[in-house]
Amino acid sequence: MNGAAYVKKTILLILGTALLLAAPAILPLYWIMITTEVLIMGLFAMGFNLLLGYTGLLSFGQAGFFGVGAYTVALILSHGGTSVLLSLGAAVVVALITAVVIGYLCVRRDEIFFAMITLGFGMMLYTVAHNWVELTGGSDGLPLMMVPPLSFFGCEISLFDPVQMYRFVLVMVIIGIWILWRIVQSPFGLMLTAIRENRERLAFVGANVRQLRLAAFVIAGGVAGLAGGLFGLFNAMATPDIMHWSFSARPVLMTVLGGMGIFFGPMAGAAIYFGLEQMMTHLTQNWMIFLGLALIPVVIYFPKGILGSLVAWKKTVPQKRKKPLP
Amino acid sequence: MKMNKRLPVVFVAILLMGLVFAPLAPAATPVKIGFVYIMSGPFSAYGQFAKKGAELAVAEINAAGGINGHPVEAYFEDSTGKPDVAIRAFRKLVFQEKVNYLIGLDSSGVAKTVVPSIPQMKTPLIITHAATPDVTGSVCNRYVFRISVNLAQNVKAASLLAAETGATTWTTVGPDYAFGHQSWEYFEKYLKAIKPGMTFLPKDEVAFPPFKTTDFSPYINKVMQSKADGVLVSLWGGNLIDFVRQGKEMGLFNGKKQILITLGAAVEVLGALKDKMPEGLWVGTRYWFLANDSARNTAFVKAYHDRYGEYPSYNAHGAYGAVYTYKAAAEKAGSIDKEKIIDALEGLTVELPVGKITIRPEDHQALTDACWGKTAADPAYPIRVLKPIKIFKAADVTPSVTDAGCKK
Repeated sequence: MNGAAYVKKTILLILGTALLLAAPAILPLYWIMITTEVLIMGLFAMGFNLLLGYTGLLSFGQAGFFGVGAYTVALILSHGGTSVLLSLGAAVVVALITAVVIGYLCVRRDEIFFAMITLGFGMMLYTVAHNWVELTGGSDGLPLMMVPPLSFFGCEISLFDPVQMYRFVLVMVIIGIWILWRIVQSPFGLMLTAIRENRERLAFVGANVRQLRLAAFVIAGGVAGLAGGLFGLFNAMATPDIMHWSFSARPVLMTVLGGMGIFFGPMAGAAIYFGLEQMMTHLTQNWMIFLGLALIPVVIYFPKGILGSLVAWKKTVPQKRKKPLP
Repeated sequence: MKMNKRLPVVFVAILLMGLVFAPLAPAATPVKIGFVYIMSGPFSAYGQFAKKGAELAVAEINAAGGINGHPVEAYFEDSTGKPDVAIRAFRKLVFQEKVNYLIGLDSSGVAKTVVPSIPQMKTPLIITHAATPDVTGSVCNRYVFRISVNLAQNVKAASLLAAETGATTWTTVGPDYAFGHQSWEYFEKYLKAIKPGMTFLPKDEVAFPPFKTTDFSPYINKVMQSKADGVLVSLWGGNLIDFVRQGKEMGLFNGKKQILITLGAAVEVLGALKDKMPEGLWVGTRYWFLANDSARNTAFVKAYHDRYGEYPSYNAHGAYGAVYTYKAAAEKAGSIDKEKIIDALEGLTVELPVGKITIRPEDHQALTDACWGKTAADPAYPIRVLKPIKIFKAADVTPSVTDAGCKK
């Protein structure tokens, strides 16, 4: 990456963050809550994209880790836990451990077999949440009776206020994204891309593909756990439905919509997903039809996704202009 | 997945209502009421009835000059029977549509999970169907009220009936979530106190089919082969319809066992079963359209029947009554300010078709009579009716404030 492009990217990122921080002053409260949800689901999808876009693995069980995060937060805070940050930390740790166990059994397989095994494990986690009534409340879900306030240097922030909740989620999501960014930029991240491109060749040069895949799976699981924990806090509940395989399809849809080859693609996909939902539910109860209608041309004509195609288009324009110049 | 059920029809209806009433009261700001019921899936009949009841109340009130001069606007959302969908519906109503008042909730499970989040929205919610004692007990709060019979009141009435049936060994068939388990728990507790010496089958011998069950034969078998001579059924909606159909074929209702169905007198269920509903079963309800002949009730049943060509269910009555409860509270408060409405609702007495109800200020549960009856055929009605009808006075079936356990 050359210097000018780096500066440009940094400015764009700072501008974007500033805009998101200032959003509560501009947007109505309802849209702040929608944005909160976009951020959480976007982070979830970005973690998932480490598997799909970078490593080339399609997991259909990510909702399992998302749910593990949500239930961990709900269980800790409803059993006398008083620290939101510690409960979120625990959500990540529990999701990481779950991902190590499940990942160990999954990463040996490729493509459809990998997708099916992850789907199977995801449904196992769902069934635990749905049927272990004493612990999880079964299909009723687990309500968070209260979200304890955050205390920073003596001042207390109540997450009961949707705007404070938004700011808190924003900070957490930025931390999550920053960690993911460092990972994909590292040599390890490049090795993951190499697995996607040609894993036999990578194995021949001495890399342990299975271990690398497991590492990617565990990281994606941990990020899903963080996103799930935030989701549990935001909705003040954990319900088995967020562990169902149909919920696992959401990060897949968001990633494909936004673009799996590009770092911020899934986040853009999440924004498009929720934007479409809000627009369409005003017109019809069956907004999923329009999601399908939008998805088909994206897959056929813009395989790089909406954000991915936009970025690719921007890159080609100046190049074309440069050529005729002497 | 989130699905908005504001059908285009409603949209047009609201637009038309706006057109009709705009010239009458051009200056007054509308008062907005948001409704959240199950509008899709196997339990959607409840949402459809509630919507009809709500629309009737809104039309009547608007025709009579509105609430404190404000015309009423209704907004409907679908909870799909899931707590996460319901919370999004509430957020949309409160933060996007800016409603003044919330009405709704069918499933007890949804109610219990959603109620702790209502104070965040600072908007009063009237529950009209969900019966879990917890929302006016362990998880109660300033913003949540209930004007319908709750689980404790209904099951207390069931226990009083059960004591007279002659059955001595009891079992249950209930949905496998908190509502089903709590119904059985309360039944055992109350019946033991009323008539000592009764036997209750242990947990592993009673039947709790999961919510998604469609084939009830293994559960019906379990009950038929048990030594119990009395059965408390707390299934509702689509589950209850399937259960009764299959139970009838298998001979469960041949008179050998006493059957008490806590939510059996729902018009949603009776209308779906018609003459497939066996006669001679004890069925409970929160409101029965033939239970009293007060002028208020007669007018309501007539208006409802004229408008929709069918009889109002308890869910239709609940939504209808909640709108009138709001009207009474707004008139008492002289304002539509949300906090003032809450103060006015506490201790409010209002006459609804079901009779006079009083909202207890301590736990926000309404003191309202519980109704049971025996199913019977009547050529004058397309559905089974109740003969005889037994009304249990609120004072006899409502747990004390201390027992309700609400600490606001």
